[in-house]
Amino acid sequence: MDLNLLFIAGGAAAIGFYMAWSIGANDVANSMATAVGAKAITFKQAVLIAGILNFAGAILLGPHVAGTIKGDIVKGSIIADPHTLLLGFVASLLAAAIWVTLSTWKELPISTTHSVIGSLIGFGIIAGGISSIDWSVMGRVASSWVLSPVVGCIIAFFVFKVIVKTIFAKDEPVKAAKIVGPLTIGVTAFLIVSSLFLKTKLSEMSGVSDLSHVLLISTVISAIACIIAMFLLRNIEAKSVEDYATVEGIFRKLQVVTSCYVAFSHGANDVANAIAPVAAIIPLANGEMSLTAGIPTELLAIGGIGIAFGCMTWGRRVMRTVGGRITRLTNTRGFSVDFAAATTVLVASKLGLPISTSHTVVGAVIGVGLARGLEAVDLSVIRKIVVSWLLTVPVAAATSAVIFICLRVIVG
Amino acid sequence: MEDKGNHFRVPVADTYRRKSPFGQLLDHMEKVKKCIDILGDGLINYYKGNYTGFSELAKNVSKIEHEADIIKRNLRNHLPSSLFMPVDKGKFMWALREQDAILDHAENLANMLDMRHTEIPKKLQDVFIEHAKIVMETVEAMQDTVENIRDLIETSFVKREREQTKQLIYKVHEYEWKADQKKFEMTKGIYKLEKKLDPMDVYHLLKIADWVDDIADHAENVADWIRAMIAK
Repeated sequence: MDLNLLFIAGGAAAIGFYMAWSIGANDVANSMATAVGAKAITFKQAVLIAGILNFAGAILLGPHVAGTIKGDIVKGSIIADPHTLLLGFVASLLAAAIWVTLSTWKELPISTTHSVIGSLIGFGIIAGGISSIDWSVMGRVASSWVLSPVVGCIIAFFVFKVIVKTIFAKDEPVKAAKIVGPLTIGVTAFLIVSSLFLKTKLSEMSGVSDLSHVLLISTVISAIACIIAMFLLRNIEAKSVEDYATVEGIFRKLQVVTSCYVAFSHGANDVANAIAPVAAIIPLANGEMSLTAGIPTELLAIGGIGIAFGCMTWGRRVMRTVGGRITRLTNTRGFSVDFAAATTVLVASKLGLPISTSHTVVGAVIGVGLARGLEAVDLSVIRKIVVSWLLTVPVAAATSAVIFICLRVIVG
Repeated sequence: MEDKGNHFRVPVADTYRRKSPFGQLLDHMEKVKKCIDILGDGLINYYKGNYTGFSELAKNVSKIEHEADIIKRNLRNHLPSSLFMPVDKGKFMWALREQDAILDHAENLANMLDMRHTEIPKKLQDVFIEHAKIVMETVEAMQDTVENIRDLIETSFVKREREQTKQLIYKVHEYEWKADQKKFEMTKGIYKLEKKLDPMDVYHLLKIADWVDDIADHAENVADWIRAMIAK
């Protein structure tokens, strides 16, 4: 291997790690801030749990999304030269990382997913013209950006409605919460476990790939989770019929579980942003043309460690501000938001769709608001989201194009 | 953004307000409570012919009214059209407006009473005091209604809480009706004594009866707007 190329591969991995770190530091707030704000867990516990679960999500479920970002958007068949592709991926990664850092510094609301895809498009257009981009894949990706907040909104709406109908509307809300709460934990456990065993590395290793097997394992584990939750909540008694504080208290405990769910899904979905371009660079550095090859576990581990490291180092800092702001979201609401966002992100990851975790969370908050669950929801954030869609992709594309041209001039 | 150390890129936290409109409505109601409490005691002393400290009381009422005005203005100015609330924003504003009207009337009443110390005829004293007490009770019932908003929001307006609020509103109506009956009694009493009393006294007594009763009317209006707010 050429020393120069080795250097590039190493550098790319470093940039990928850096990008993963910034993703971890920023987005950990999405998953844990509600739980910390509600004082269900401490900062230290939150960053530790978030770090571990992000890592687990990245390793176990990461490959699906990474595949889409890496191979499908830029057509390898049109840009046939490995050298050009290599430079392109380096440029894309660098552009995305720079844009994320810049916007983090300027506190602009952007999505790491969008910036990675934007920068890939930028380089693709310069290197191979408009036709080198697979616009149908791009269309699918773009539609998922719109769909993810909408789906998050719809799920959150119904989850909250279910909580209202099955708990608050009942004659004894606390008693109802003691039954409904563990059941929702069971559902959460079912979703996580079944996602773990459907077409993942874990299912290959354990040899469980049959759908009926997966369903059986998931059901058993969710039943166990359900029973454990019921056992833990057994001593809670209502002080009066209108003892809503106790209902919230029960959900404060349950919310820890859904926060973990968000952290896990986030790792699964967002590790691809940092790792997919690196995964494309490594084989190219060897002179191979293998855009469709799988993503090595070591790279996912680097990304996972990066995100976990980001959570643990700077996540605390981010969360302190957000956690304080977020307290208005009571536990039942936070639970609905977490559950909806995590489910949306997890399903999208399974389908290989790169979506924005943060935008899904915003969608979920609006969903709870529409279900008359929040005192006031500021719908003007929707405008901010749209602006961030319109802004991030072109800016990242332009930056990536410029870096690509520079690299081509320098490296030759 | 005001916080420099905040690296949160997506405005999740901006989606919901830190200071909720309902919280501010309840803050405003606290002012009403405080104001009506001191005015109620002062009014009964005044009716009994004890005017000591009434000037301070009037000043105090004005001060509270001003504090409440700041809350009201703040609430009004920070309710953009993009803000989505679980109740009709117009009805919410009307409830706030009526709640504020209670304070406006309290202020006007306290200052008018302070400008001219009108002696209440011995025969009418009891009716006047009873009326004042009923008006206070109307306002207290209204306060209970407004405070129940907390539970309504927490449960996302379930039937049980809506029914409870309706019961509280019904109580406000009842007290207001009683206050009206007392006011007619008072007015009748004043007209009966019109030959014996100084015309200026008659004018003021009628005015006091009207203005005190206005407080109950506005308390009822607050309850009515809350009724409209929770209607499905």
